[in-house]
Amino acid sequence: MEDQVENSEPRTFASVLRAQQSMVFSIAYHFLRDRSAAEEVAQDVFLQLHRRFDDLKSDMHISFWLRKVASHRSIDYARKRKLQPSVGLDDAPPPSVDDQPRDHFLHRRLQSLIGSLPEKPRMVMVLRYQEDLMPEEIASLLDMPVRTVKSHLQRSLAMMREKIDRSMGDVR
Amino acid sequence: MMDDFEQQIKAALAKKEPSPFFEARVLGAAKRQARDRRASARMWWASAIAAALLVTTGSAWQYEREAHEQAAGREAKARLELALKITSVKLQKISQKVEGI
Repeated sequence: MEDQVENSEPRTFASVLRAQQSMVFSIAYHFLRDRSAAEEVAQDVFLQLHRRFDDLKSDMHISFWLRKVASHRSIDYARKRKLQPSVGLDDAPPPSVDDQPRDHFLHRRLQSLIGSLPEKPRMVMVLRYQEDLMPEEIASLLDMPVRTVKSHLQRSLAMMREKIDRSMGDVR
Repeated sequence: MMDDFEQQIKAALAKKEPSPFFEARVLGAAKRQARDRRASARMWWASAIAAALLVTTGSAWQYEREAHEQAAGREAKARLELALKITSVKLQKISQKVEGI
């Protein structure tokens, strides 16, 4: 279920910010693997939203717009800063109570593998698995053909499966 | 339909929260941005009004100058015509006198 601003209260910039900050920040964070860079991108996205808030008529339109701008801004940011995806100690997610050590290790490894993908396939993976979007929706957000999105997904998954299988084999 | 591996990727890419001050920081920046935009809009209007006044004043001055020059030209033409008329009358009189001799 996608985050939406409650319909009972009138939509304001502050209410949209509160409801959507996690989504926008996470797209940038999972793509850039850098917390402060992700906050910078997310802030830029929301300031751009603030400038044209009155043009966006519905919550769905706002969500689509935020995902699109967050994706493109993150890619632009990575290109400008030549940011190398890396997982710093500060970026390590705090282990939750339910996390099994094996899952925690696996998740870190998966995040690292996604971070090592080229820009477009990396964003495709983030939108597919963070935002639960279908290839058609991703294609529309990233302005690319659906078959390219599917191809990025298949190749990225195959590469990740192979590397995970290999590293599991090394552990065993 | 996602398999177990894809479910693990989904879990690894679970949404995260920005820092606790993020919301306040963005709201503050948005307020500053709105204030700056209002200030630059006011500046734009002031510049536009000043430019319009300058153009209007310049045009009025130009029109005034042209009207003045035209009036001066008309006056000079009238004087010249008068001078020519006087000269013509005098020449005619001289011519009559010469014919009378």
